[in-house]
Amino acid sequence: MVEATKPGEKAGRFPVRAGTLAVLGALGALAVYPFFGTTYMIGVLTEIMILAIFALSLGFLMGYPKLISLGHAAFFGGGAYAAGIVAVRLEAANLFLTLVCALVFATLLAVLIGVLSLRNTGIYFLMITLALAQLVYVVAEQWTWLTGGTDGLVGIPYPELFGFFSFDRFSFYYLVLLLAGGAYFLLRLVTRSPFGHVLLGIGSNERRMRAIGYGTRVYKLAAFVLSGAVAGVAGALWAHYNGIVAPVDVNWPLSATALIMVIVGGAGTLVGPMLGAAVVWFLDTGLSSYTERSTMIMGAVFILFVFFARGGIAGIARSLWERFYARTGT
Amino acid sequence: MGVEGIGRGFFLRVLLVGVLGLLVAGCAGAGESGEGEPVRIGVILPYSGVYAQLGEDITDAMELYFEREGNEIAGRPVELITEDTEADPQVGVQAARTLIEREQVDVLAGAVSTAVAYGVIDITRRDNIPFVIANATGNDATRQGARNVFRVSASSWQVSYPMGEYLVEQGVDEIFLSSADYAAGQEMSSGFREGFLEAGGTIVGEVHPPLETSDYSSYLTRIRQADPPGVFSFYAGSDAVRFVQQYREFGIEAQLYGPGYIVDEDTLPAQGEAAIGVRTILHYSPDLDNPENQEFKAAYEEAYDRDPTVYAVQGWDAAWLIGEAIKATDGNTEDRDALIEAMENVEFRSPRGPMELDENHNPIQNIYVREVRQLDDGTIDNVMIDTIERVQDPGE
Amino acid sequence: MISFEALLTHLLNGLAYGLLLFLLAAGLSLIFGMMDVINLSHGSFFMIGGFIGIGLVGVLESFWLALLATVLIVALLGLVVEVALLRPLYYRSHLDQILLTFGLALILEDGAEWIWGTRIQSLRVPEALTGSVEIFGAVVPVYRLAVLAAGVLLGAALWYVLERTRLGSIIRAGVADREMTAALGFNIPVIFAGVFVFGVALAAFAGFMAAPILGVYPGLDFQVLILALIIVVIGGLGSLTGAFWVSLLIGVTQSFGQAYFPAAAAFILYLIMAAVLLLRPEGLFKRRYA
Repeated sequence: MVEATKPGEKAGRFPVRAGTLAVLGALGALAVYPFFGTTYMIGVLTEIMILAIFALSLGFLMGYPKLISLGHAAFFGGGAYAAGIVAVRLEAANLFLTLVCALVFATLLAVLIGVLSLRNTGIYFLMITLALAQLVYVVAEQWTWLTGGTDGLVGIPYPELFGFFSFDRFSFYYLVLLLAGGAYFLLRLVTRSPFGHVLLGIGSNERRMRAIGYGTRVYKLAAFVLSGAVAGVAGALWAHYNGIVAPVDVNWPLSATALIMVIVGGAGTLVGPMLGAAVVWFLDTGLSSYTERSTMIMGAVFILFVFFARGGIAGIARSLWERFYARTGT
Repeated sequence: MGVEGIGRGFFLRVLLVGVLGLLVAGCAGAGESGEGEPVRIGVILPYSGVYAQLGEDITDAMELYFEREGNEIAGRPVELITEDTEADPQVGVQAARTLIEREQVDVLAGAVSTAVAYGVIDITRRDNIPFVIANATGNDATRQGARNVFRVSASSWQVSYPMGEYLVEQGVDEIFLSSADYAAGQEMSSGFREGFLEAGGTIVGEVHPPLETSDYSSYLTRIRQADPPGVFSFYAGSDAVRFVQQYREFGIEAQLYGPGYIVDEDTLPAQGEAAIGVRTILHYSPDLDNPENQEFKAAYEEAYDRDPTVYAVQGWDAAWLIGEAIKATDGNTEDRDALIEAMENVEFRSPRGPMELDENHNPIQNIYVREVRQLDDGTIDNVMIDTIERVQDPGE
Repeated sequence: MISFEALLTHLLNGLAYGLLLFLLAAGLSLIFGMMDVINLSHGSFFMIGGFIGIGLVGVLESFWLALLATVLIVALLGLVVEVALLRPLYYRSHLDQILLTFGLALILEDGAEWIWGTRIQSLRVPEALTGSVEIFGAVVPVYRLAVLAAGVLLGAALWYVLERTRLGSIIRAGVADREMTAALGFNIPVIFAGVFVFGVALAAFAGFMAAPILGVYPGLDFQVLILALIIVVIGGLGSLTGAFWVSLLIGVTQSFGQAYFPAAAAFILYLIMAAVLLLRPEGLFKRRYA
């Protein structure tokens, strides 16, 4: 047990601490930004923070129990649809109602998919999560009277609180910021708990953990469900922010995008995937306003990352840190 | 400790500067509007993906109109600001939001796919920003009667229902129905079914393959077995190319009918000879013999070195609607209600022939029956064979 | 109720489609089995094969010459990719490979859009292969029979090379144990490059043959990639036999499913994959040489 946690601590001690500080700093900067920024930029940051929560949820799964899922859009989109359906079909945009419905639905979905898929490992896990998530996608696309089919579910308002407070884009920004910070610190707490150490142990050598006597599948399922639930919350925010949920929010390219966000940001940390979300957003959506060849640039940047930035953004930060530490500390 | 603090501070700064730098780079200055300031027209169209050519055609024709006006309307320079929607409602809504919030456009135009149009209607309605639908055909886009929404293409009903009546008149009273299984496909099918059944026709069978089917052989085998005298189909883009080609490959004898989109100028080059003989209805035909069309074709060909398509015509009319309305308000785009009222009163001179807007801002227009033929110069194109005059969407 | 002719038509069409999928999946499976690389740009070579093919048919005015030239050109492109990008990454994690090959796929797709535009293009079938014939009352387009024949021939050749030749046994050994094969003195980099180039050439061949049926456009790459991935995974990674049978299975079930349950057609594929992976967590055919 003690042995199993050691590699994680060794690799994790500095980045986790510095990462936490970086996150606190970023949260502070983000908290004051709306007083200077344009409406448009507030919108952009809201969008990125929602995607960052999504990437964080997958990053947790990929970094600790080392489960690479290609079906995470099912939970994000599932949460988005749950919130959207409550808000539009039941005309109840109460924040707690939509958020809780999204959370519950994504959790149930994660239990179901997790139970079915966790017998598989490696690429087979990746592919079975893809298959099961695509079944969710087909349902979203075909069940037209409930989901709006290919047209999507239109007209989702910003949430409100029991009739006495309605969110606008300004307050919604802070809601997202709060939940992004909350999700980060929650998962940070989890990864540092004994439970998190077991997950890390499973990630580095599952067979050994089983030999020591851990029921690794239960641990993996718990991590999977937690991750799915967080993704579901992100999805609910996404639905409120965009005012629309469409099948593309459950489709596999979104799962792939989340996977890329995590790799670009750096799997194995919690801050990395969130930064990865920002970078990928910029390369994908941001750049396309300026050049027609943004896709090509994005592809090239990914290749450069593979060659020159092992471990993603978190990896760069770590090696920068180590260089400084080596120069100043000895 | 102190030494460590410096390192940590640096590390933090690198991260923060990096992230904020990226974010700031995504930001651009927002313009103001008023006298002498440019009129800012937001254009949301697909510029990547399967429908990119449609986006290109619409944009080119819009630019053609404004160039003809000297890039100035009522003394104000004109700026077209484009955003890519792909064919995806989610991306479309984000594109529209970017144009409204970052670029602060006065008017929005575009939307190739219906799903994008519905999403954008929802957000433009909140801010009462005039939105000109330049292609999407979803019936409800205008039937919901939003004041700020205009359409210069056609409703699904307009390019499907009349064919049902027309075919029965022509003595074709048995049809096999086939369309892609998504919102627009269902609208086209039900529009045709309604018109055909009301006129006394019989539908002998139906198949509705999912969108983006790559192999239609199973469906075509079923059509072949039913051996109907005619088939009415709706597919668009790559689906239309595959369906029509495979239809011929399977040697199906039945006459193929449909809305014009199954054999339009966008898909014809890939379909080639397979498309010859297909009869469709649409609100435009390239060989229309009116002065507006001749003039438009000449100008478009000179500017872009290719023939205009129905999409180009829609782009021209969208720009016309916006341009003429702004002229009517003497360049005032601030007063949105006045601008919308001016748009309601614009008189069109469209290459498609007579055109006016009904009370839902959907065009009342002629619908042309066309057949794909090999022309004398060897090219393959639609030729008008009949006209159904003044078709108006029923509105509900 | 369902006539014999209809069944036969669906079966033949399904087999033709399945063999097309097999040609695509075979390369992906070989590359994974031999090199342990998940090649997300595999569909891009399929798409580029189609685009180059259309261009060359126009220039060379011969379907068969163009086919040959296309396969060679794309193989050359594959060689460049292998040497410049993949070779340094053989011992890196799957995540790095995913990011690299995904980036490459994005570049190739956008490049194709840049060069050939977004409009769907189609390849004209040679005169001799147009139209359709009747076999026991079932109507099948001639070109599909040609695809069927090409698929069977290539599949048989592949089997023969892998099972009956010295080269095949080296490759099989490489799949089973890379280090051991290298220790025996075989030049692993050369073998890897050969396998990658061959896999890519197969994809280009499939892309060319599919162009008259599916058309070619940017976006096709990811559409077929996901199909190929599904086949390779259901079949069992690295197992050509598995890829072969699963391709046929998917081709035929798609064909019947679409005809009789169109609404469920989209379900079937993923349902099969989920069911197989549930019952046999490592695919239908476990890697034979592992």
